[in-house]
Formats: sequence, structure tokens, C-alpha cells
Amino acid sequence: MSSSLVRRGALLSALALASFIHATSVRAQAATGVVRGHVTEGSGGRGIPEVQVTIAGTRIGAITNANGDFALGAVPTGARTLDARRIGYQPVTRAISVNAGDNDVGSIALNVSAVNLNEVVVTGTGTATEKRAVGTSIATVDSALISRAEAVTVDQAMQGKIPGAQITQNSGSPGGGGISVRLRGTNSFISGSDPLYIVDGVIIDNGSAQLADLGIRSNPQNRLADLNPDDIEHIEVTRGAAAAALYGSRANNGVVQIFTKRGTIGKAHYTASTRFSYSQLREQQPFNFYPFNENGIAVNRYNYQDSIFHRAPANEQNLTVEGGNDQTRYYISGNFADEQGIMRSTSSRRSGARVNLQQQLASKLIGNITANYVTTHNELQAFGEQNDYGIMGSLFFAPTSVNFSPTNGIYPLPPSLGTNPLLAIDKIRNPQQIDRFIGSAKLTWTPLTNVLFDYTLGLDNTGFEQRQFVPRNAVLGTAPLATGRSQSVFQSSRVINQDGVGSYTWNPIGPFDLRTTAGVNYTDQRIRMTSATANGLAPVGDLVSAGSIFAAGQTDVELRTLGFYGQQEAAWKNKLFLTAGVRYDASSTFAPSERWQAFPKFSASYVVVDNKPGALNNLRLRSALGWAGSQPSIVNAYSQFITFTQLPFAGRPGFVNDVTFGNPNLKNERAREWEVGADVGFLEGRVSTEATYYNRLVSDLLFFKPLPTSTGFSRQFAPIGSMSNKGFELLLHTQNLDRQSVSWSSTITYAHNKNLVESLSIQDFQSAGGYPNRIRAGYPAGVFYGSYAARDCVTGALLLDSLGRYRRSNQTVDMGATLAQRHAISNGTCNDSLNAIIGDPNPKWTGSLLNEVTLMRRLRLRMLLDGVFGNQIMNLSTRAQNAGIASNSHSYERELLPYGDPRKLAPGFNARTQGIFQYWIEDGTFVKLRELAASYTIDAAIVRRYFRDGVDLTLSGRNLYVWTDYSGYDPEINLFGTNAGGVGSVQTTAADRGFDFGGYPIPRTWSLSARFTF
Amino acid sequence: MRMMKHRAVAVAALSVVTLGACNLDIQNPNQPTQEQVTTSPEGVIALATGLQGRFAQSYGNFAYMAGLVTDEFASTSAALISISDAEQGAVPSGTGIAENVFNSVYRTVRTADDLLAGSVALASQFDAGTRSGIRALAFALKAEALGEALQSYQKIPIKTYNVTAPTYVGRSEALPYVRALIDSAAAEIAATPPSAFFNTTILTPGMSLPNIIQLFRARYARMANDDATALAAANAVARTGPAALSVLTFPSPTVNFYANVTGGTNGIAPRRQYRTSMQAADQRWAYFVAPSTTLTGRVGALLDPWLRYANPQAPLPVYMPDEALLIKAEALTHQNQLAQAQAVLDSVRTDCTGGRGLDDPKACLPPLGAQLTQQQLLDEIYLQRKYELFGTGLRWEDTRRLGAIIGPVAAPAVPTSGQRCWLPYAVGDRNANPNATFTALPDPTEPSTFPSSCTTS
Repeated sequence: MSSSLVRRGALLSALALASFIHATSVRAQAATGVVRGHVTEGSGGRGIPEVQVTIAGTRIGAITNANGDFALGAVPTGARTLDARRIGYQPVTRAISVNAGDNDVGSIALNVSAVNLNEVVVTGTGTATEKRAVGTSIATVDSALISRAEAVTVDQAMQGKIPGAQITQNSGSPGGGGISVRLRGTNSFISGSDPLYIVDGVIIDNGSAQLADLGIRSNPQNRLADLNPDDIEHIEVTRGAAAAALYGSRANNGVVQIFTKRGTIGKAHYTASTRFSYSQLREQQPFNFYPFNENGIAVNRYNYQDSIFHRAPANEQNLTVEGGNDQTRYYISGNFADEQGIMRSTSSRRSGARVNLQQQLASKLIGNITANYVTTHNELQAFGEQNDYGIMGSLFFAPTSVNFSPTNGIYPLPPSLGTNPLLAIDKIRNPQQIDRFIGSAKLTWTPLTNVLFDYTLGLDNTGFEQRQFVPRNAVLGTAPLATGRSQSVFQSSRVINQDGVGSYTWNPIGPFDLRTTAGVNYTDQRIRMTSATANGLAPVGDLVSAGSIFAAGQTDVELRTLGFYGQQEAAWKNKLFLTAGVRYDASSTFAPSERWQAFPKFSASYVVVDNKPGALNNLRLRSALGWAGSQPSIVNAYSQFITFTQLPFAGRPGFVNDVTFGNPNLKNERAREWEVGADVGFLEGRVSTEATYYNRLVSDLLFFKPLPTSTGFSRQFAPIGSMSNKGFELLLHTQNLDRQSVSWSSTITYAHNKNLVESLSIQDFQSAGGYPNRIRAGYPAGVFYGSYAARDCVTGALLLDSLGRYRRSNQTVDMGATLAQRHAISNGTCNDSLNAIIGDPNPKWTGSLLNEVTLMRRLRLRMLLDGVFGNQIMNLSTRAQNAGIASNSHSYERELLPYGDPRKLAPGFNARTQGIFQYWIEDGTFVKLRELAASYTIDAAIVRRYFRDGVDLTLSGRNLYVWTDYSGYDPEINLFGTNAGGVGSVQTTAADRGFDFGGYPIPRTWSLSARFTF
Repeated sequence: MRMMKHRAVAVAALSVVTLGACNLDIQNPNQPTQEQVTTSPEGVIALATGLQGRFAQSYGNFAYMAGLVTDEFASTSAALISISDAEQGAVPSGTGIAENVFNSVYRTVRTADDLLAGSVALASQFDAGTRSGIRALAFALKAEALGEALQSYQKIPIKTYNVTAPTYVGRSEALPYVRALIDSAAAEIAATPPSAFFNTTILTPGMSLPNIIQLFRARYARMANDDATALAAANAVARTGPAALSVLTFPSPTVNFYANVTGGTNGIAPRRQYRTSMQAADQRWAYFVAPSTTLTGRVGALLDPWLRYANPQAPLPVYMPDEALLIKAEALTHQNQLAQAQAVLDSVRTDCTGGRGLDDPKACLPPLGAQLTQQQLLDEIYLQRKYELFGTGLRWEDTRRLGAIIGPVAAPAVPTSGQRCWLPYAVGDRNANPNATFTALPDPTEPSTFPSSCTTS
């Protein structure tokens, strides 16, 4: 049998997917032995779990347990080669001699390495392959990095760890906050820009839609929050179209593959961990606390931030048990997390359990079952864009002179807008209940050593109930809501995924090794929603049945995707790897005539230097070219149909044409991406780096093309233009010190991305309805566009009116009614346009710095700095405060000063600035102290007697400090962040970024955790 | 090896069977397709209901906007700035005020055209009386919708069905087109009277199609200064009985248009001067408003809250029944039949409790007494129209045709007439219609001296 790489790839496929195979050919031989050992980090370091240990030339393999121990059964006697490998480490092979009976091979040391060409990745074919063979850059994050982040959700844990991924926590709401992930920039307006998430081969729903109005465009949570980070073994992130082409029509935004833990061989092994945290508002905002009003009369001012925010506790408990033998392996976990939000009356509680089971069903057939049930209960409050009962909106829109404290049980309402925030906290309720099951069943059949078939059936089923209770007389505003509202919305979301793949490895001539893969994938996603709403509530009772005026609704949306793919890999002498593949994909969303689309890909990888000692240890050059598509999100799933819509009248059912005209020729967006890069290791593995340049062009971008309204229609979902993202990604890992007593390593990520709307076939448009931003050809997507403060065209000085207030570019009062008058005021033509491009929310670059120090092998210190640079934010929160009803901004104090005070601002100064959008553009650059942690392992003998690996204690903090010039609560929060796009959500585009409007501030969190194994 | 082949075949067969189940042609269960609606009689009948619903919307938008830019309505305190701008005569291009009339009118037109197409395609599936009723309804409501457009915009597109880039024409072309549509409606029901099935299950309760058609016919004949037709049509509108008052009805949970815009960000209320400018004895305000001494608007306008439309289920008249009498009086005056004209006018002035048994504004004024001159009669008719036809949107055209457009009136001054000639064209059409770009179709220039009449092409 050839020891060629591709064959080893096939073997690894089996291992990575099934991990443990007991080959019959081996079993048939009489003399066998058991091989035991222990894998450590460096010589004499900690035991490393999850290391794949195999006997070369056979399909015997095992995974080390949490202690680093492994045992291989039924190994044929004689001289054998042992192979040990794990993500993030240089693999090791060792010659061993196996005798009948027990063989202890002792310790095997693995050294840390960022460049590991032998790492096994799945890459979107369903079959595993070594990283060296892949022409694209694939980022991997392993369980240690995830668990050490002490994060509430998986996506939080990924923050700052993947170059080229802008992972933004858009709100500080409990349960993770709404998190958006942008891989290599914004690539679509309408399909959502979040990547495709796949857990153990199952495509899952990461929707962030809220089923009731929790503040338009607020971002309380996205559904990835249902996964327990502790269950995750590793994550693979394929960032671009070139890498993800085999996911076809859904891969434009990249793919995130999550693999959960599989269980290790041996006796039942228990791990318990517990964490206690508290969170608090990082810093308060200044408001108008000036003790006099406009007329110089003394007034009391109140700071309601003290009443809205509090120090919020949280705790999380995990218990896992794993074990198995050569036929069966299991991993069982239970998880409970309970978190209070820093905004009073908000909380999130998650309980879940997972069973992962693997069973040898026949000599060549392995079955794998994963089952994950989670139930999440959230208590939320509205925030984000002002609605009638949002707490943040009410805080920003209410004058500080209003006393909101209840008297005689009656909560005073604000003078003009919103609600009393104390009333909202005490009486308005928005409970959510999410019950979710994610499960998969997989069969792996290896009829021959070089033939593999694999079939996966996956299910993600989520039941989501959202209730809302707004009592009577709780809000100002229009009659229906003031009479109270109770709402109950049930949504059932189901994704069924079927995946079949076969691969055949062959060796036709000499140094060439080939692998042929073919597969089929079918996904069926269905979302059903039923809502009931009641107004006119009775004085007691908060269910819909307490109402007297009722409304109901129902939607049912289904989306199916069928794809076939084939891939041919060729390897030459384990040095040069060429891959060509194609996916042929069809989605029910698209018109039958346009439905079938081919997405080809090509990649090449050349290993110039492979694990050599000396100054240059590794060098690999790679390049790839691929095409991918994106589908409209499920909210637009039926856009190909010309439909009518209900307009009941006079108590009778009626139909009228839907003003959104169907597009019977609808087809998908198409991305073309090429990338080129290198992986280099220097100085005996102490320095390693991965660098990638990419260039992506998305054409046939889908959006609503305006139709002449004189036709009775208003828009049609259609291709409107093209957009590019070009950028550079760098990962640099250094081992600065590596001694017995102290080791210190650093990881730096850097990513630069340049987004550009290349062409538009329609007029440039405001992508976020009602917000000053723009999609315009020749500019990055979502640039801020609006009124500006006019300047003197000669001197460049700001033009002021007689009272010293700015002149607003699009205000006739300020600039004159005619162009001639504008020119006279401006001293030239520089202020001719009413509005202008006034800022860009896209960052120039993002980066992170992770430092990890280990002292005396027991004390580990880590610090992660995560930053976004060169972006701008429009501070609509402070804008809301600045005038009119509210006039509660800090700068409004200066308008209240007595005349003669040099700091005095002219009356109306703040009201004037409110109309000038340019005034609210701020630099959004920030660096966050994302993670800071100290862990200590107590492994005294007395402790080890009860806890086998000792006890790990960790004190950690998240988002402890932010370096920024931004004046709002947090430069990271974003009104449009999660780009919900779900059924019933407000239409937004992925380009709508950089708006801070009544967001839920992201807290500073301290945690203390302990981990026990026994 | 052989065994393996068998298994491979089995796996392949299983795959084929599994995948055979993936039908990618999913129907949309949430909304019917065009085909489902337009190819069945039930679907076409539902279109007729949808048309009446859309008509209620476009009529509401028109009356709301016209009341703001004249002297009828002003914004309430929580209203958007664009609404308080409009009440002062300023309607910038691209605002909802400028767009909503246009967009909703052409949606009504679209549904009317769909309904007409359905009546042709499914002609054999309707009896003659039902078919004529459907067609007459579509012609009449399409005509009135276009008529509202031509009272709001200097030029309007008239041919829009399945046209990708409709062209705009001036009133000299548009008005005859509207009148021809109404004549078609009248001809349909004259040839075949609507069936009982049409009248009870397709026409919504409260509507009388023959009266609506004749009233519209009179309205646009008057606009075209065709006194003979105006007189004949006005005479054909029923004077008494339930059919004399056609209303759009809003059973719960639907809400009449004015109740929908009394509060919130699009809130408006009648200006108090509507009531206070009346002759002391005139009682017509009592039909519309509850007197107030305190209610003020966003920019300080003095207001009276709605009385009638405070009830969200209050029906909305398609026309005020006395409009027919006022048109008749005007036609007679033009024809120099002054005594008859004055008698008709007196019947409007003296309409009082009981009266003709209709739920309409009741002036309860004394008769005029001595015979008025032709000009005095026209002035009196103009005055009576202001009070009698309040909230119908007709005020704008009245001030326009009499050359009484007074230009923008900045608050706190109170307007007494129309404040602008036309709305800017809808940006929603400009963005996609090559015949409506700013170059192809500049917004009309407002007059520079006031009071003024307005150019109509």
C-alpha cells in the first residue's frame, strides 16, 4: 500500500468523520496488542485532549481523553508507526514495536504551531483533507480558545480570533447580544450577510428576527446563542467564495462549520465546570443636569441611568461525561446558564443537553448520532429605534426634568414621546421561549480502504414563542396601544438537511495520487408563524384572552435547495496539489428557467519547504479561484411569483395586486473570488504566519428595483448592480519564550478590506429606510449621505448665521432659496449640493493581539485586544437628545447658561445641529480589552485524590476597557447589526451599519470559574 | 467485490428515491398568484372588493392632502414636520404628502384595470347584469381616482395598464379621458342594469352605483364647464332615500380614513376657523367637529377635534349629497336661470333637522330672500361649497378655478384659501419612469404673485 498523501487523506477522512475504525482485515490477524500512551504539550507539559492517534497503514485510531491519555486496541504485533496530530500542533510520528498484550509507549510531545500543513479540514466537501492540499485559507478555532474566552455564545468566543472576520456584538442584551459576522466585508444587500452555519454537517438556522416589536431593528439575540460553547471541539471558518464554492448558491458570505466533541475511549470521564459572573454598565452618558431651565427657573434634574441599569449577576454550570470502547463512544453534556442583563428586568436563561454517540454497526459501517436539546427563556425589553415603549428611546427622548417616580401607584408618562422607563421595567413584559432540537444521524461506509460513502441526515427544529404585554395606559400615542396590548407569536422553524458523499482514492501512475469525490445535498427549510394580538386589555390579566380587540396572522414559508457536486483532487509527491470542483445547484426561490446554476472552483497549493529544521521551516504557496451564489433570505423566498394580496373591505375579502411585482426571471447573486497566499514557518517553528490577498466581485446583486408607481406597482426584486471586496489578511503567531518555567506566545491578526459598489443599474438609493445612508456606485456600500454644515468656499470656515449657529446645507432658511443666493452666502459653488457623502461606516482595518503567558505550568495569563479602525459612526442617540422635546443632552446645558457666559450657545444651536447629519458623524475606531484572564491549576496531591487532573480556577473579564474617541455608550453597538431579514422583520440591508440609536450598552463582565475533572 | 457493487447500487437507488421527493416548485401559500385570482369568478369578485378598498385609500389620501394645502386641516402636535410644512403650503418633492395621492390613485387604477380585464376574460362566467355592474364600478372608480390625480398634479399619466413607461398629459387631455370613463360606466348600466347579485354581494353595503356614476358625471362635467351635462347628471342623482347617500363602510376592525389620521405622526384635525368663519346660525360644523377652545397643532394652528370621525367605524360618504344640488345651482346660474338656481341653493341653505332624511351636514340657514345677481349667486355657491363639501378635497379645485390660490401662509397666520397650485410629481415614478425624470417632466412652477389661478398644462 502506498503511503502517499492522498491515500492518507482518505484514511483521515474516515478518521475525522468517524474517528475510530476497527478494520476487519486487522482483526483477522491473530497476534495483536494494546498500545497505550500519553500526549503532552511540549515535553513534560499538560496532557492534550482530542489528539488523533493512529497506526500508520491501518485504520486503527483513537482520540486522547481530557487528560491526554489514549489506548489503541487490536494493534497487529511487530514494528509499527504511531502518528499523533491535533489542530494547532505539529504532528509527530514515532516508530514503535508492538508486542502481544499491553504496550505503554509513554509520553509523546506535540509542539504548538500555527502553520500546520497536516491539519485536517473538511472544506465543504463532506470529506476531510489535509490543509496543505487546500488552495484557500481556512481559519480554525479549537476548543481551548473557545473555552478560555469565557464567552456566553460561540460567536462571542470567536471575536478577535479570525483575521478577515468582523464579528460585532450589536447589543449588550443578555444571552449574547445580537452578533453579526461579516467575512471579508459586505457581499450582499438582501440575502443577509451572515455566513452559512453548519453544525456537525447540519445546516442550522441563525435567525435573529424578533417576533414582536422589541424596538425596530434592535438586536437582542441571534439563534447561534442556543449552542453551548463548552460542547464545541473546533470551528472551521471558510471565508470566501473560492473556499466555499462547494456550498454553491449559499456560500457567498462564507461558511462556518462547527464540530462538537465526540467522546474519548476509556472509562467514564466526568468534567464539571462552574462560572459566576457579574456585568455592569461600563460608563454612564452625560445628560443635561443643569439645574435651571430655559427661563432661568430652578428645576430638579434626574439621572435615570441609575434606575435603568444595575450590576447584574450570572452563573453557568456544565457537566459532561465521556467515554467508550473500540465499538462505542459517547459524549454527554448538560448545561445551565442564567444571566441577568444590565438593564433591569432583562435576563436570559438557557438549559441544554447533548448526547453524541458513535457506534460500530458492522465491520465497515459506523453510525454517528448527535442530539442537542436546548431551551432558552429570555425576558427582554424594547430598545433600538424609538417605539412607544422602548426603554432606551424613552431615556433619550425624555427631558431630565421629568420625575418618573410613581405616586399613588401611577407612573407619570413623559411629555411627548415614549413611556416612563420605570414603568417599562416594572410592568412591560416581553418573554421569549425557545425550544430547539438539533440532531443528526450519520452513516459512514468504507467498503474498501480507498472508497468511502457517507450519508448525513440533519434536523434543526426550533419552536419560538414571543409574548408581549404592554399594560393599559403605559404609553403615550395612538389609541390601540394605549389601551394595552398582549401579543403571542409562535414560530416553528425547521431545517432538514440531507447530505450524501462518496469518494474514491486512486493512484494511476507513479507519483500522482488522485481522489474523486461526488456528492448530493438537499436542504428544506420551513418557517411557520402564527400570531395573535389583542388590544383593549382588561385591568387584570396579561394573556391575549384579556383583550377586547383582536387581530391574528399566519405565514408559512418554505425554501428548498438541491445541489450536486463533484471534485477531483490530484497530488504530486505530497508537494503539489491541484483541485477542481463544481457544484450544480438549484433553489426553489429562483425561477425554474434560471434555477440550475453551476459554481466551479479551482485551487492549487505548492509546498516549497516542508517541516525543515533551521530558519525557514515551512513554506507553502496557494491560490484559488471560485464562484458562489447567495439566495434571498427566507423573507423574500417567494419573490419569483406575481402575487395578489388581501385587502379586506367592508367586512368582505378582497384582493389587489401586490405592489412588489414578482420577478419570474429571478436568479441568484453570483460571486467570483480569487485569492493568493502563503503559509510560512520560521525559526524552528517559533514564528509562523499565514497571509492572504483576496479579490471578490459579486454581480447580479439583488435588491428592490423601483418600478414606476404610475403602473400601480412600486418595486421588483431584481439584479441591480455589482460590488467588490478586496483585501488582505494576516495571521502571525510567535512563540516568544518557551522554557520549563515560563512560556509566552502571541497571536496577531490583521485584516484590511476595501468595499466598493462597482455599478448600479438603478438610481443610488437609501438602503436603510429613513436613515441617511446610501448605496451609490463608486462608493463603499452604506456610506453616510445627508445634510452637512455649509462652509465658506474660500476660507473653508464654517458658515454661521447671525446668532452663531451652523447653516444647514439643505435648509432654505439657512442657504437661500435659489442657487444664486447659495453662491452669495457660500462665496462660491462648494455648497451647491443639498446633501453629500459625509462618512463611511466600513472599517479600514481590523486587528487583534492575543498574548498568552504560562508560568510554572500552573498559572496561565491571557489578554486579547480586539480593534476596529477607521470606521465612522452616526450618533443618532445623542442627536435625539439634542433638541425639541428632549433637550437633555450634555451640550444643551450650554444653551441654558446665562448670557455673558463665554461657553453660552445661542438658543436653538442644538436644534440646528439636530438637522445637520454631518454633525453626528464620529470616528468609530476602538480597541477593546476583549478578554483578560488568569487561570491557576491546583494539582496538589490532596486535590488530585478527588479530582484527577486537579482543579482549574480562572478569573476573567470581558470587554473590561475600551480605548475610543467615540462619545456614545459603545462604538460596537449598531442599530442594524444582525440584519435580521427574518419573517416579519423590517427590511434592512447588510450595508446598513454604523448607526447608534438607543442601543443596549455592552457590559463589562467579570467572571470567576472553576473546572473539575474526575 | 461483487457484494460491494450490489451495495453501491442499493445506495445509489436509495439516493435517487430520496431525491425524487425534492420538488423545487413550491407554491406560495401566503398569497395567491395573479393566475389564481384573475382566472376564477371568485377571484375577480374579490378584486371588486379590493378595488373599493383601494378607492377608499386613494380618496382618503386625496382629501387629507387637499385639506392640508388649503384652509381645512392642520397638523396635531405629534405630527411629522412634513405635515406641518404642508399646512403652510410647503410640499417638498419626495415627501409622503407629495407621493401618497399619486401612488394610491394609481393602485386604484391598476385594480380597476385588473377588474376590467377579468370581466372580459371571464365574460362567459358572469351573468350580464353582474358583468355590467362590475365593469361600471371599475370605470367609475378608475375615473374618480384619475380625477383626484388631475386635481392634484398639473399633468398625469392616463394610460398605465401594462405600460412600462407611462406618459404624462395635461388636463386638456386628461379631463376628457376621465369623463369618457364615467360615460362608459353610465353606458354599461344603462344597457344592462346591474344584477341583484352584483348589488348585494359585490357592491359594498352603503354604495349606490347609479348615483355615484351620475354624481361623478356631474362633477367632471362642471369641471369641464359643460353645464348641460352637469345639469342633466345632477338631476339624475337621487334626492331622497337611502340610495341618495353613498358611503364607504368600515366595520371593525377596519377604521375610517379620518379616524386613522387623528393621532400619531400623521395626525390632523379641522382648523377651528372652519367653524368660526361660518354665519352664526350655520350648523354644519356640528356634523364634523366638536368645538374646542384649547386644541392647538404642531405649529400653533387652532383646531377643533373631529366629532364624526372620532368614531373609527363611522362611514365615509363617497360624496356629500348636496354636491349634486350645488352643481345644479351652478349650471343653472351659468345658464342664467337665476331664480331656479337660487331655489336650489336655498334648498341647501335651509336643509335642517329632518330635511331629506339624509345623514349629511345641515346648515339650517334661512333662505336667501331677494333674488341675487348671477355673480352674487356664483359667490354664494362658492361659499356654500366651502362649508357643505368640507373634507372632500374639492375645496382645492374650487380655490384654484376661482383664481384664489394665495400662496404659502406661514404659521401662525391662518390661510383662507388654497395655498399652492400643484403637488410636485411623485419621486416613486420619477425613479423608474423615463418619461417622468426631472428633465423630462420638471415640477410645475408655483405662481410668483397671489392670488392666482393655476396653469393646467
